[in-house]
Amino acid sequence: MQVCYSSRGLLDLSRPEKSLENMVRAGFEEIMLDLSMFYAKGHFELYGENSFAPDRTELKERYEKWMRCCSKDAVRMNLIRAPHMKWDTKRVDLHPLMLRIGQECIAHSGKGDKKQLIIQPLYAGLSGAEIWKENRRYYEELGKAAVEKNVCILLENQCNSINGHLVRGVCADASTASAWIDELNEAFGKEVFGFCLDTGACSLCGQNMGEMAAALGHRLKAVLLRECDGVHEASRLPFTGKNECGMSTDWQSLIRGLRRTTFDGTLIMAAGDTLGGFSHLLRQKMYPVIKAVAEYFRWQIEMEKTIGKYPAIVLFGAGNMCRNYMQFYGKEYPPLFACDNDAGLWGTRVCGLEVRSPEVLRKLPSEYAVVICNTFYTETAEQLQTMGIKNIETYNDEYLPEGFFYQ
Amino acid sequence: MFRIGVQTQNVINDRYPEEGFAVLARAGFSYADFSLNAYLDNGSIYQSNINSFFDQTVSDLENFFTPHKSAAKNAGIRIGQMHMPYPIFIPGGDQEINDYLWHEVAVKSLRICAFLECPYIVVHGFKLAGYLGTEEREWERTEAFLHFIAPQAKELGITICMENLYDSVGGHLVEGSGCDARKAAERIDRFNEAYRAQVLGFCFDTGHANLVGLDFEDFIVTLGHRLKVLHIHDNDGIGDLHQIPYTFSRARENKASTDWEGFLRGLGRIHYDKVLSFETAPVLTAFPERMRADVLGFIARLGEYFSGRIYDFS
Repeated sequence: MQVCYSSRGLLDLSRPEKSLENMVRAGFEEIMLDLSMFYAKGHFELYGENSFAPDRTELKERYEKWMRCCSKDAVRMNLIRAPHMKWDTKRVDLHPLMLRIGQECIAHSGKGDKKQLIIQPLYAGLSGAEIWKENRRYYEELGKAAVEKNVCILLENQCNSINGHLVRGVCADASTASAWIDELNEAFGKEVFGFCLDTGACSLCGQNMGEMAAALGHRLKAVLLRECDGVHEASRLPFTGKNECGMSTDWQSLIRGLRRTTFDGTLIMAAGDTLGGFSHLLRQKMYPVIKAVAEYFRWQIEMEKTIGKYPAIVLFGAGNMCRNYMQFYGKEYPPLFACDNDAGLWGTRVCGLEVRSPEVLRKLPSEYAVVICNTFYTETAEQLQTMGIKNIETYNDEYLPEGFFYQ
Repeated sequence: MFRIGVQTQNVINDRYPEEGFAVLARAGFSYADFSLNAYLDNGSIYQSNINSFFDQTVSDLENFFTPHKSAAKNAGIRIGQMHMPYPIFIPGGDQEINDYLWHEVAVKSLRICAFLECPYIVVHGFKLAGYLGTEEREWERTEAFLHFIAPQAKELGITICMENLYDSVGGHLVEGSGCDARKAAERIDRFNEAYRAQVLGFCFDTGHANLVGLDFEDFIVTLGHRLKVLHIHDNDGIGDLHQIPYTFSRARENKASTDWEGFLRGLGRIHYDKVLSFETAPVLTAFPERMRADVLGFIARLGEYFSGRIYDFS
């Protein structure tokens, strides 16, 4: 699974050097280039009028400056998001323009690794059966260019504005989106299309993100991680939406869903509004936090996969987390035994698992892993490293496949 | 014209039901959505504080509701649908209470429904997806309950209607059970085929749908003939307010922020021919009591307007 940062969150476009440097210093190696950042909100609404700006030369200059900076910092850019229209757009005449922009994005997607390009479906002025008809034509045209350039086009879930109230729009229904992608890929005879799940759009429409991710399955190639309050558009850092009632975005459901699909795509961190809330003097301190959140998601989503990749595992810790592991994963990934530093537990059994001294780990075959099953991750990892253990993993029970009290 | 109904809650007084049904009839309603859920408040159920109403025998309950039945008849109002108390299962609750909810409350609700000659009873699915991990496993629990009451419903000639619900995540209302129209349609068909009867149908709740941003038209069209009853009400997309349609707007243009056009178009497209029932009891406590009859009259007029628009779309 890859982790990247959305370029929209870098804020200062005229001087991207510092932001990119901070991002790289925090450990991000990849960026999603969101081309909407070059446009002011609502630019497309003015297209064709005198006030439409910026002009192509100016755009080109900004873009090239950006690319130079990324190249200087060796930032990878395998994921691009095409500019898109507002959800409440009044312009129903811009489909040809959107097609042209999409084709240009594909043409300029660069060389090297296979690129993914998020291109939102068309929705302005469309209803009923014509939505798919028009989009099919649109994506087939884009698909031709994508095949030539070895680009994978990702569709994205949209909102629809009912006089300002954002509700589920085009591709918000996972079964419909899946059917579109399958039909398009079938038409091209290979995987040219996939999906990017925008968690912000899901939250605005009160959607169960886990079920959506699970229904999309292998088609899901990227997840745009952003928090909003479920009413207003925002791109805040996940986990910052806590209030006195709890977390307003159901990250548990998303993590569960992505585990179920064994998601192996790209996690995109979109935290521009969180970052923008801070003084520029404080922003550089936020990048490591954003990176840590991204890594936390990756760790949680991959937990089962990580445990499952070893031929055998041993649990370190014979307390509640161990019991918990045995309840939810003991059958699928049975450990050989458990270890604990508490000598009083040696020789006892926890959930049928023998508890032994950590000393026995010295004889553990090198391809096996020790899974830390207590909250003292750092201390235990240090102890295991000192003992020469190579494969050290961590288990966590914050996001279990199901709640506690249903036995 | 469509038949138009409204909730009995906040209108019908148990001591003088004649008066309430007469008010409804004068306002222009010919159908009522009997609020059986008002006799066992959901907040109390969640707190495991169950009152003794359903301790009564079926015969006692029938006696209790006999005045309501005759009052409705005398006013020319048919009880077209009713709401079973909810929840019918408390997650993590006492086994004894959950057994009581199934064996006493649900069973007796069906008997009351039959006694009032009401063809549809609306039930809430279980809100367990968060605990059980998946919607599918949540449905298994709801399905077990439906199988428990379906034979009795079949025998009594009642159709149980599942409703699209919301759930709360940190105070943010998000989709709950029954929000996937395709799954609902498939499940209803499977159920009815197994029982060889129309034991299961759907109740589309416009307010809940608005809270979780459902596409009204697509949802209704997907359900098609399985849609048996409606809960028509409006909100701001944030809270479950049960207000009059067209009440809310979000933009400076001040146009309705709920997709009423999609709703009416959807009903027209499936040739819906059942009751247009408003679940707007809270409106009656929001307005001054002296305006109650006027407000009810306005809701009924709105039903007439809806009626005409649905025919236009048919």
